[in-house]
Amino acid sequence: MDKPNMKRRDFLKVAALGSALVGGLRLVRLTSASETGSSPHKWAMVIDQSKCIGCGYCTLACRAHNDVSPDISWNRVLEAGNVGDKKVFLPRPCMHCEHAPCVEVCMVGASYRRPDGIVMMDYDKCIGCRYCEIACPYGGRAFNWEAFSGPNPAVPEWGQPEVERRPRGVVEKCSFCYHRIDRGLELGLVPGVDEAATPACVVACPVQARLFGDLNDPDSAVSQALASHAYFQLREDLGTSPRVFYLPAGEEATT
Amino acid sequence: MMAIRARILVKPFTLWIGFLGLVMAIGAIAGLIVFVKGLGVTNLTDLVPWGLWITIDLSAIAMSAGAFLLCAAVYLLGLKRFQPVARTATFIGLIGYSMAVLTLLLDIGRPDRFWHALVYWNTHSLLWEVTMCVTLYLTVLLLETAPIFGKLPWLQQRFPGVSRRMIGVHHLAPYLALIGLFLSMLHQSSLGATYGVLKARPIWYRPDLSVLFMYSAIVGGPALTVLVSKLAARLTSRANVNDDVLERVMIFIGWALVGYIYFRFWDSLSMTYTYEPGRTESLRMLTKGVLSFNFWVGEILLGAVIPAIILLVPRLRRITILPFIALALVVGGVVAYRWDVNMAGQLVLLTYLPQEIEAIYTHYVPSLIEFLSGAGIVAYGVLAVSLGVYHLGIVDHRQVEEEVEATLPVAAAAD
Repeated sequence: MDKPNMKRRDFLKVAALGSALVGGLRLVRLTSASETGSSPHKWAMVIDQSKCIGCGYCTLACRAHNDVSPDISWNRVLEAGNVGDKKVFLPRPCMHCEHAPCVEVCMVGASYRRPDGIVMMDYDKCIGCRYCEIACPYGGRAFNWEAFSGPNPAVPEWGQPEVERRPRGVVEKCSFCYHRIDRGLELGLVPGVDEAATPACVVACPVQARLFGDLNDPDSAVSQALASHAYFQLREDLGTSPRVFYLPAGEEATT
Repeated sequence: MMAIRARILVKPFTLWIGFLGLVMAIGAIAGLIVFVKGLGVTNLTDLVPWGLWITIDLSAIAMSAGAFLLCAAVYLLGLKRFQPVARTATFIGLIGYSMAVLTLLLDIGRPDRFWHALVYWNTHSLLWEVTMCVTLYLTVLLLETAPIFGKLPWLQQRFPGVSRRMIGVHHLAPYLALIGLFLSMLHQSSLGATYGVLKARPIWYRPDLSVLFMYSAIVGGPALTVLVSKLAARLTSRANVNDDVLERVMIFIGWALVGYIYFRFWDSLSMTYTYEPGRTESLRMLTKGVLSFNFWVGEILLGAVIPAIILLVPRLRRITILPFIALALVVGGVVAYRWDVNMAGQLVLLTYLPQEIEAIYTHYVPSLIEFLSGAGIVAYGVLAVSLGVYHLGIVDHRQVEEEVEATLPVAAAAD
């Protein structure tokens, strides 16, 4: 009744099918994952807490330019205690970590890091498992629990949408306005200097509490600010190396 | 008169199937609402994004661990007398993993993109590894259960060729057991590591989680298998068990529980030594806070200590009703553990403000829709196993002899 040859052949068939499947998946991966390489730029943001007045213009400008739902903030402004009798604020965009936990955990590679340091979201890949939300130490990510339909209340007062609205069921977050940077560079503009090539929140800030620029350029505003001021990053203890730097609101800054 | 006759005509099994079918139908409607309206109908938030469904998913996978353990015992260690138990465990495993897949389909925001998980790879992600292992292992389970489905009388009559081929897959059992062991060891522990690698959540960020997930699955999987076997044998004449064999497995579960209690104790104790922001608050939540009943009673007392005593003291083990209670408690304890792990890291969060890193508390109670759809998935599992017992003879220890004979030439070929 049992023919050993038959079953060995069956086993080989299964094994061959299995390896063909794995091989096939490998090919798909090779064609899809090509975002390695290097960039001459190293984008970073500097936020001066001694200047921030907590007006929230950055949040609104961000909502308009990135077409973000009123339920979601890519860019929250938090109260962070007092220095003397002056309130201190902490605006919190995505930290664009060098060692980003969200990129490490994303199972489909929808969160990925560009060579210039921007942590990107591929909204066409995201399956909405929310592992990245769990992994992010900064609460920088928001899930689209509901579809955002209808008009954006921040438009047109705070700007015009420049990117596509995200569908229900994916995670979204601040992108350093990569589209403004990319288009600006194509036009020969300098991000951080020319407004059209600079993140919307930086442009909208009425007190110039935010600086943006290239850390590889020693003359950029961010390089200069970090060279001449004491600064800190959020949760440095975690080793994520954020690309958002804060200049603290010290006593001398308030006087 | 008519009423009495009608009552006799409706068999208890039909009522049982009808009840499960109803829960499933309600669950299906709830699931449909989730697909149409999106995850906004849940009580999940950006602060607590993983809730009841993830617990069901994790528990279903843990409860399926009997399959790889018993198959390894039978086909790799050569403990042939457990072969009929392995048969039951394999079927439960197949159903358990399909439950997990169903739950995940509910839980992800874009169920239409489920296939992305197989096509787009980030090999660095623990969830990528879990997805790969679960998919491959589901394939292994399908092959392992093919002989069970092949024996379906209807199939044997209508398609004898197909039936014979499906039964013939049994010859691959030793290979499948080896692959199953490998894949299961990987993803059972990786599910713990999924939490364990997250630095942002101090209560999770420790290597122990992968060990404990593995260990609790080793305890919970066989417990469910034996519980189902004993219940089936008690409730229907279509199931037949060898109590001596099941008792052996119960003794194994008892000793495994002792080891589990030791590791659990050591793991919890080691976290109490110093104050660590976030971790200490989460631990307090487990030992004194909202999760404390779950922790002390659900996980430790009822979930581990009492069943360990029942299963290891021969006098208690032989009191008919007690093993049923003990095994059910073990299953409940593992589910409670999964719930507590998932919640402990999400109900306490750490702020990222520079001055002070302090703990803040969040809140989560599943919504009605989450409960109903979750219950629907559980009902599907119970229904599938009930039908398996009734129509596929998945709990039948009389089949031992012939099956072991049939595997002998394979063992020789494998050498």
